[in-house]
Amino acid sequence: MGGIDTKRLRQIVGEEGVRDAPADLLVYGSDASVHQARPQAVVRPTTVEQVQQLLEYCHQQRIPLVARGSGSGMCGQTVPLRGGIVLDMKGMNRILEINLRDGICRVEPGVVDDDLNRELKPHGFFYPPTPASARIATIGGEIANNASGTRSVKYGAARDSVLGLKVVLPGGRLLELGGRTRVASSGYPLERLFVGSEGTLGVIVEATLRYVPIPRFRCLGIAKFDKLEQAGDAVSAIMAAGCQPSMLELIDHVAITAVNRAQNLGLPDVEAILLFEADGMVREAVDYEIERLTHYSQEAGGFGIESSYEAKERERIFAGRKKLFPSLSNFADALASTALADDMAVPYSRMAETARKIHQVAERHGLIMTAYGHCGAGCMHTKILMDTSKGEQWRAARQAVAEIYQWVRQVGGTTSAEHGIGISKAAAFKEEKAPLLELMRAVKAVFDPQGIMNPGKLMDAPDDWLHASPLRYDVDNGEV
Amino acid sequence: MARFSRLARWESTLNACIRCGYCYEHCPVYKATRWEVDAPRGKLIILHELLHGRLEPDDYVAEKLFECFHCRRCEKACSSGVKTLELFRDARADLLDLGFSPVGTTSLTDADRCAVCLNCVRACPHEARRFDGTRVVVDPLECAGCGSCLDTCPAEAITLGRNFGTAPQELDERLGHLYGDGGPRPRSVVFCCAWSNYPGLQAARLAGAGDDGEVAYLVTACAGRLSAGTVLRAFELGAWGVLVATCQADECDHGGAARAAARMQRLREVLERLGLDGDRLQVREVGFAGAAAAAAAAGEFSQRIRELGPWYEECRT
Repeated sequence: MGGIDTKRLRQIVGEEGVRDAPADLLVYGSDASVHQARPQAVVRPTTVEQVQQLLEYCHQQRIPLVARGSGSGMCGQTVPLRGGIVLDMKGMNRILEINLRDGICRVEPGVVDDDLNRELKPHGFFYPPTPASARIATIGGEIANNASGTRSVKYGAARDSVLGLKVVLPGGRLLELGGRTRVASSGYPLERLFVGSEGTLGVIVEATLRYVPIPRFRCLGIAKFDKLEQAGDAVSAIMAAGCQPSMLELIDHVAITAVNRAQNLGLPDVEAILLFEADGMVREAVDYEIERLTHYSQEAGGFGIESSYEAKERERIFAGRKKLFPSLSNFADALASTALADDMAVPYSRMAETARKIHQVAERHGLIMTAYGHCGAGCMHTKILMDTSKGEQWRAARQAVAEIYQWVRQVGGTTSAEHGIGISKAAAFKEEKAPLLELMRAVKAVFDPQGIMNPGKLMDAPDDWLHASPLRYDVDNGEV
Repeated sequence: MARFSRLARWESTLNACIRCGYCYEHCPVYKATRWEVDAPRGKLIILHELLHGRLEPDDYVAEKLFECFHCRRCEKACSSGVKTLELFRDARADLLDLGFSPVGTTSLTDADRCAVCLNCVRACPHEARRFDGTRVVVDPLECAGCGSCLDTCPAEAITLGRNFGTAPQELDERLGHLYGDGGPRPRSVVFCCAWSNYPGLQAARLAGAGDDGEVAYLVTACAGRLSAGTVLRAFELGAWGVLVATCQADECDHGGAARAAARMQRLREVLERLGLDGDRLQVREVGFAGAAAAAAAAGEFSQRIRELGPWYEECRT
């Protein structure tokens, strides 16, 4: 890697667009994961041309480059493992077009998800991937991670909303991938290759997206369960029966406790709850879905089932779900919530066993873990709550993460549902995709022959996440 | 660690911060710059690294820590329960002990112009200003950057270090963009208080009530700082109406709601003498109420302004 000529960077993006104070480098080397690393410079482009010039420069000089939205990723996707430049895409945050006749919108990558939805709402539409972090997450980051959220069970993930992308490749070449139509059967869908690529191929500079109508009716229900497995079985039964919930969330007792402590929501003190929602344009259709959701929940052992069309009540419960992740640090004093084994997807029929397995593994290793997630989409989240100053807790966490993903593979699941791979899930990902890694490397080499785009991630990530980068926590004696 | 003796007691809190970044949307400083080092999460990362000796304190770090309007929005929104204000205060005290003298968002007095009338000392709602026997001094730990002192100075000797879009000149510039070539030329301008309702009103736009692209939201620091000149400039450039959304008078930490009400009342009388409907300039105590209340206030105002039409038509009749 060559040295970085910040004078050249300033020529490209202007004096104000380059930061290299140690404090900036630290902040831009961190995200919501356990990892951190320092880049040599942070650069904020505001135009496609600037991105092209920057990628030309980095390509020539072989300087690593990591594109970043708001840095809300949980697995270290934007942590610059090999230093280099962090490209802060929040300077490109214009909504370029909302075309109501074509039913599409075009945005720059730094647009915040909620800001796009704010503009779509008066027209009666919304952009559906909407992760819990939608108030800060950028569209570019969501696409690069193939993000999704509570409503993915009905509306899908980012990949289902992306019709076209403009991307800049190392060297500066600008490509237009996909297009503006709902369907396309014109050869390789390369725009999809960039969805979930975690910045390893090129930089997304524009996205053409589809959106969907806002339903007139939404009804949120809640069911209590005495056994975690029963809640898992209910998910499986609901989906197997062909129900179409717009949300189906499992929340276990650890998460219930944390949310109640942090937000005083008064969620029921049971082993697990299911939150379910149905939506539609006709009340009868929503009633029908809610009836079925209630029926299958009850059959699996659910009790105290309530549902409400009332917006205020729905928002109150929903706000609790949205803030679940940051609430987890409130489960117990001195236990920090770490984004480890943070997400996975498993077949519906194995949901119940997986939820129980997570707690068994945690117990065996002296850790506390939680199981929750958009289970209707097959997605299970967890976090590890531990004393981050203790080296043995970290080593136990590494073992627990490995065992959980071994289980996930065994039952036919996959390493990540929606949070991506980054650094902390790379070992599991590499095992799962072992026969495909060479092919993936070959694909990357076509787009990025010098290997400058977010190097050391996905198939090229270190096998041992615990030592892949400095941890954001201070461990006693520095011993992990 | 001895260098940061006060900060040291926050170690477990710094670990409890999950770095989700959800504080970004609540921070008026971050919203002005969108540089992550300006957000509460950025400050917490810096402090964690200072505490563990992986970052050396310097003037830049000290400035960053003192760039904060003390609005507590981040603290109220934090589900990890991080007491940001107290934590930042301790870190600032440590930095001052180390000999740094940052300005940040605190107020400054130009000693050459100051006549030592002590109006500012009396006006400061935070007891951040005092007379030390020869001159007026500011306690940077207490000063919240509310700007309550600015108007009280007959010599115009007081300035804020950094304003993050809330200074009168910056508001004028924003207005210039809104009504300049290709600007959206909104019918209504809503000035929102950074301390209370600004994030709520932004969320209100999300709720969509009353907002069909007609309203522009500009964040002012304390509503009490909003000058008659800035409001008149909005009208002059083409706004049909201006709403000043303040805190509830009994909740306002800076006495700004009452000052804004009095100032805008005087201005409204002037507008009425010029033949304009007084409803075109309104003050509402929106306070810390949620998005719905904020949406209702902005929606009602926007509706009234639509009924009234452009003020220049009214003048003609």
